[in-house]
Amino acid sequence: MRSLPVTEPVLLILLSLAEQPRHGYSILKDVQEMSNGQVTLSTGTLYGALRRLLQDGWIERFEENRASRGRQAYRLTPAGRRNLQLEVTRLTHLTRLAGLRLARVDRCAVTLEINPNLVGVNRESEA
Amino acid sequence: MLSLYRFLLRLYPPAYRDEFGAEMLAVFGDAQAETWKKGVLARGVFCAREVAGLLRGALVEHLQGIAGSDLLTASRSRIRLSIFPLRRFTMRSEFRFPKATAPLMAIILALIVVAIEKAKAIQASLPHTNPHVGPIQPAQFTLFSTLLVVLAITCAAGLLGWAILFALRRSGLHRLSEFNPSERFGPLAGGPHGP
Repeated sequence: MRSLPVTEPVLLILLSLAEQPRHGYSILKDVQEMSNGQVTLSTGTLYGALRRLLQDGWIERFEENRASRGRQAYRLTPAGRRNLQLEVTRLTHLTRLAGLRLARVDRCAVTLEINPNLVGVNRESEA
Repeated sequence: MLSLYRFLLRLYPPAYRDEFGAEMLAVFGDAQAETWKKGVLARGVFCAREVAGLLRGALVEHLQGIAGSDLLTASRSRIRLSIFPLRRFTMRSEFRFPKATAPLMAIILALIVVAIEKAKAIQASLPHTNPHVGPIQPAQFTLFSTLLVVLAITCAAGLLGWAILFALRRSGLHRLSEFNPSERFGPLAGGPHGP
């Protein structure tokens, strides 16, 4: 079973399938759109990831009949959706933490700009 | 480009090719058709990305075939299990032998031969009249040479095992489990399904 956290391409593939079932080319295009062109998967990378996700039971394959030349399409399984939710929760927590840390650093910088005499206050008090 | 892609697909393991080959080719065709409308630079980037992706993918699939797990993408906590995938030690029913083992064993054999040659060269460089260098005693065996001997024995045992499995496969013994006499010769007289 694949363990969390997942890599960025895999996360994008899962997010692409979270909305609706898609076939290979549609996933490629959607990943490119979601990442604003920053991530462009090759077919080798895409199908390597799809095969592992299939193997781990995160996605399943089915045949699309209508207007798609019988192409194989992929959709999330309940386990895949659950794991994706866990990953998104983890990332949300991480983003919030990063925001808090950055805000704290910014606040300190602003304070020092207002009162430069505070530099070394902590060191003196510790001494 | 399509023929190059088809050729590179042959680098993948056959099972993978059977399952995804046609689909990958179709998706590549769609992507290529769209990219070909763009400039020369976009085409070049597209080709480089596809070739690199295929080579990397084929390597990963073969490594996974050997290691039995997702070796390259395994998280650190799983690396130990990936390197020692216990479940792969169970023999498959069709007696498959990983093709990559043959080159690996050849490399090991070559290393052993090189080590022996090196030892011979060292031995030849020493003067025979040197009183300090006598015949090699068992106590003078170093850890390295012991490991080499163990490795050689292991390789020999592996080769022997493979030869036995190969002979069994050639004999068709593994097909006996699928053999159904009533299907081949019809219902047996006096049997439960007989007249």
